[in-house]
Amino acid sequence: MAAGVAAWLPFARAAAIGWMPVASTPMPIPPQDKKKGKDGLIILNVSGTKFQTWRTTLERYPDTLLGSTERDFFFHEETNEYFFDRDPDIFRHILNFYRTGKLHYPRQECISAYDEELAFFGIIPEIIGDCCYEEYKDRRRENAERLQDDEEMDMSNDVTPVNLTHREFLWRAFENPHTSTLALVFYYVTGFFIAISVMANVVETVPCGTLPNRSKEVSCGDRYALAFFCLDTACVMIFTFEYLLRLIAAPSRYKFMKSVMSVIDVVAIMPYYIGLVMTDNDQVSGAFVTLRVFRVFRIFKFSRHSAGLRILGYTLKSCASELGFLLFSLTMAIIIFATVMFYAEKGSTASKFTSIPAAFWYTIVTMTTLGYGDMVPKTIVGKVFGSICSLSGVLVIALPVPVIVSNFSRIYHQSQRAEKRRAQRKTRLARIRAAKIRGTNAYMRYKQNGLLIDSLEEAAKEAGQALVGKAPHPPFESQHHHLLHCLEKTTNHEFVDEQTFQSNCMEISVMNKSGSRTSSLSSSPHGLSSCCSRRHRKKSSFSLPSTNNQELSTIQIRERPVANSRSSLNAKLDETVPLKCDEPYNTPSMVSLSAPAVTSSDGHGSTTTTAYSQSNIVRVSAL
Amino acid sequence: MIQSETLEGHQDIFQDSVEDELELSAVRHRPEGLEQLEAQTRFSRKELQILYRGFKNECPSGVVNEETFKDIYSQFFPQGDASTYAHFLFNAFDTDHNGSVSFEDFVMGLSILLRGTIQEKLNWAFNLYDINKDGYITKEEMLDIMKAIYDMMGKCTYPVLKEETPRQHVEVFFQKMDKNKDGVVTIDEFIDCCQNDENIMRSMHLFENVL
Repeated sequence: MAAGVAAWLPFARAAAIGWMPVASTPMPIPPQDKKKGKDGLIILNVSGTKFQTWRTTLERYPDTLLGSTERDFFFHEETNEYFFDRDPDIFRHILNFYRTGKLHYPRQECISAYDEELAFFGIIPEIIGDCCYEEYKDRRRENAERLQDDEEMDMSNDVTPVNLTHREFLWRAFENPHTSTLALVFYYVTGFFIAISVMANVVETVPCGTLPNRSKEVSCGDRYALAFFCLDTACVMIFTFEYLLRLIAAPSRYKFMKSVMSVIDVVAIMPYYIGLVMTDNDQVSGAFVTLRVFRVFRIFKFSRHSAGLRILGYTLKSCASELGFLLFSLTMAIIIFATVMFYAEKGSTASKFTSIPAAFWYTIVTMTTLGYGDMVPKTIVGKVFGSICSLSGVLVIALPVPVIVSNFSRIYHQSQRAEKRRAQRKTRLARIRAAKIRGTNAYMRYKQNGLLIDSLEEAAKEAGQALVGKAPHPPFESQHHHLLHCLEKTTNHEFVDEQTFQSNCMEISVMNKSGSRTSSLSSSPHGLSSCCSRRHRKKSSFSLPSTNNQELSTIQIRERPVANSRSSLNAKLDETVPLKCDEPYNTPSMVSLSAPAVTSSDGHGSTTTTAYSQSNIVRVSAL
Repeated sequence: MIQSETLEGHQDIFQDSVEDELELSAVRHRPEGLEQLEAQTRFSRKELQILYRGFKNECPSGVVNEETFKDIYSQFFPQGDASTYAHFLFNAFDTDHNGSVSFEDFVMGLSILLRGTIQEKLNWAFNLYDINKDGYITKEEMLDIMKAIYDMMGKCTYPVLKEETPRQHVEVFFQKMDKNKDGVVTIDEFIDCCQNDENIMRSMHLFENVL
């Protein structure tokens, strides 16, 4: 745990008084503080450099080396200090972490040396503060590449939830083609057909030699009309099919239809259908021919396949203001120069500058430095202004272009960095989560070991035996576990780890399905099995929809034996104590509800915790 | 040169206001002196020192706001969602309702919880449950509190948590506490009932050796 949690534990425990009036069962006994740790100064001698800090500062992070009993291994009696044979420069940062709660990465240090120190002192690098984390990760990756290590970059995608609906699955397949091979195949096939279709459009217009009964050259499109028509049909069918599938799969159909890509899709396939519908009418066929122009929009479908194209489109969109400025200034300049040229050339005979709009063409060609030469000024004044026009053209166009270029570069790098950050974030959160789960599992283990130890300690004392001392839990842990135990008592429910929970869910549903021996159960699998599917939906409140009353009462009956066994554990001790402890870990499919002290030897060993607790009991009772 | 002086004077005022703004944004809080706190709470000097050092380490500015509070409290209950309960706790600690818990609030609360009389502790618990601080605990308030407590358990519990469980627990609670069956629990009913319940009495002494 991070954030100096140990300092707040007394507060959290005190606030637990708030649960007391609500709880109906007695609370567990708090752990005794074996010895009150004096709050003294600790001297840490790191290769000769002495650091001093309060003991409690170090104990704020009890799962690190310095904060736990692990540092006792380094205690040096002669000098009454803790000696570490490590790098003092890096140790400074580590000690600062204890003081401030933030871990920083010193940029001048070697990344692998820093990693080693962190590993030695038991600090996970993921808690490096945001100020230094990116740098740290970048350096680390650089280092790995340099060493040609096979560091496994976690490129895995999100864990696929098992039971997406078909619709959601389809949408995911479309959006991320590399999630399944089918999607990938479809992706490449559509890309191929886009290319084919565009090439067909192009080749259609190439002249293909003459037909025997005509003198004029015909284009390939007319010559092989049927072939091209079939090809076009095939392509359009594929595109239509893809569009309809996307439309069906889209989570928000209206939003999908408004999106640019869908408009492009529609525009790409519309001409074909319109062409089918229209008859061979002369007037209409003229319009039909122009419609074919829209077929070229199919090339824009490639933007789904190319991220660069999307970035370009996005850049143009984001540079709209610069482009607008460019257009506006060009228009201004064109109008000005066209007017000037017109009036300047008005005098000359047979001048091409017949009107100001006619002069527009000259101005555009000159300003963009094209200079076709189809319109040239003949008078001296015209030539003077013509040269001013071309000079200013260069300036006007050159100004906004770098802005657009820099925008593009910025957006491109940003998208690269966004990808990086997303990948880092996933691994980072996963590891922090794993650490949390370890904490939870620590509590589970405590429950299985700790309670037994406590009760058996007393039993052993009664019997007058010397107890083989198990290493005492550090005070933070035992207090924290006591707090969690109090919460369990207040709510009459226990914490279990995810696997047990999952298997409980499964077995409840299995039990329901098999129409079990208990009379009050009726098989309605969907009610309880839905508790497992709900795992995949991020809901914090837990509910069983549409359970019938019979299931409810059955489960309620089972609740009480658990509570009783727990309280009996605390209250009195007898031979059956180990077995009683075992009962909570029985899976609910133990149908015989008769008595709390159920012998579990024939119980389902399906959950690992049951097996573990059983083996543990055997070991301990051998004492 | 009078002009320059007046100019400087104006600049000073301007700077002061800027600094005031900065100070407001930084919100530094220094607690009352050690002697005063010692007199007001039941902690010894040493204990107050330890408490303050811990508090100041976590919150260098000297106050805790609700977000930080929720974060800290959630660290202890990784399986579930402790933010709702932390919200109620925050309101219980923030006795002057100014949106932040200063060291004095913190230490006063702890003093009651760890060193107070049974009466005071029960009073504190009642104050926690009474969300709108009107002197009565209604079923809705209790249900909110109960749901918050059950939220902290998270989802992976045995037996499996159901939606009715908090409500049922509230019913049990009210059956026990609400003597005159008027649908609300007053402070007297509450204290009376708790004092007659052995379990609750015993558990009130649970955390006395925490510091």
